[in-house]
Amino acid sequence: MRIIFMLTALVAFAMPAQAKAFDSIEDRGDKITADLQGNDSYHAHLARELASIASIEKGQHDLGAAKVLIKMAEQEAAKAGGTK
Amino acid sequence: MIKRILIAAAATLTLSACAPHMNMNSSELDDARKAIADAKAAGAETCAPKLQAEAVAYYYWAAHEITEDDVHPDENAHLIDTAISKANEARTLAKKGCNKVNVEIIKMEGVYFDNNSATLRPASVATLDKAVATLNRRASINVEVAAHTDSSGSDTYNLALSERRAASVKDYLVAHGIDASRLSSRGYGETQPVASNTSTEGRAKNRRVELRVMN
Repeated sequence: MRIIFMLTALVAFAMPAQAKAFDSIEDRGDKITADLQGNDSYHAHLARELASIASIEKGQHDLGAAKVLIKMAEQEAAKAGGTK
Repeated sequence: MIKRILIAAAATLTLSACAPHMNMNSSELDDARKAIADAKAAGAETCAPKLQAEAVAYYYWAAHEITEDDVHPDENAHLIDTAISKANEARTLAKKGCNKVNVEIIKMEGVYFDNNSATLRPASVATLDKAVATLNRRASINVEVAAHTDSSGSDTYNLALSERRAASVKDYLVAHGIDASRLSSRGYGETQPVASNTSTEGRAKNRRVELRVMN
């Protein structure tokens, strides 16, 4: 019983950090590109660049780095305010 | 056995979200960090946003590769050099000033507003329709509607007035079929004169609206 409780707690703790884990890096990159269409700001350019690098890292089988980079890209996209 | 596997899987799921994949503090990045900071201080994020973003992206990429402990030393050096090169280029462009960066400007001669107002006069229609035609013909460009005033009145008032006038022109373009996602609007107030404000003719030239191609 105790082990089930511990496992449930551990997984529950992990889920927020793993949000979007089931979307592919490419899908998240495509969404950034679509959301920022026509946006020429610094943050928009940085978001696109980071998404591109994330895709390259995934192609090199470094999924951990790809996830970190795509998350950074999404944060920059949010700063860019989306489509302008 | 199954319990152990489940515990291991859950722990991996937990830790993978915060595993260190970048080393921003590496001394190998000092030169790139300084070049980026210098470019930012020169206004590169505004005047050369693409170059500055590329510099920062390469910096982050290098910060990641450094964590791989000399697996690809040549690649790391290339990433750092690229970050420095892009940042230096961005700084150079920014130092020239935003106006002198290669921005194509489409002039709109003949846009008139009521005095101290953002209401377009009927006499502006021909010029505005010509702009609509240009934007339809050049469907791939995105533009900033930029409005300027002369120096009569306070800086703050002129800036606000120019912002309303730019928005008014943007609204006209959208109302006549131009996709709003291709347009932004910005008022520059009296900060970018093209003629002397000491003469009537000069002030008339400074009161203007133009389209700045942003891509």
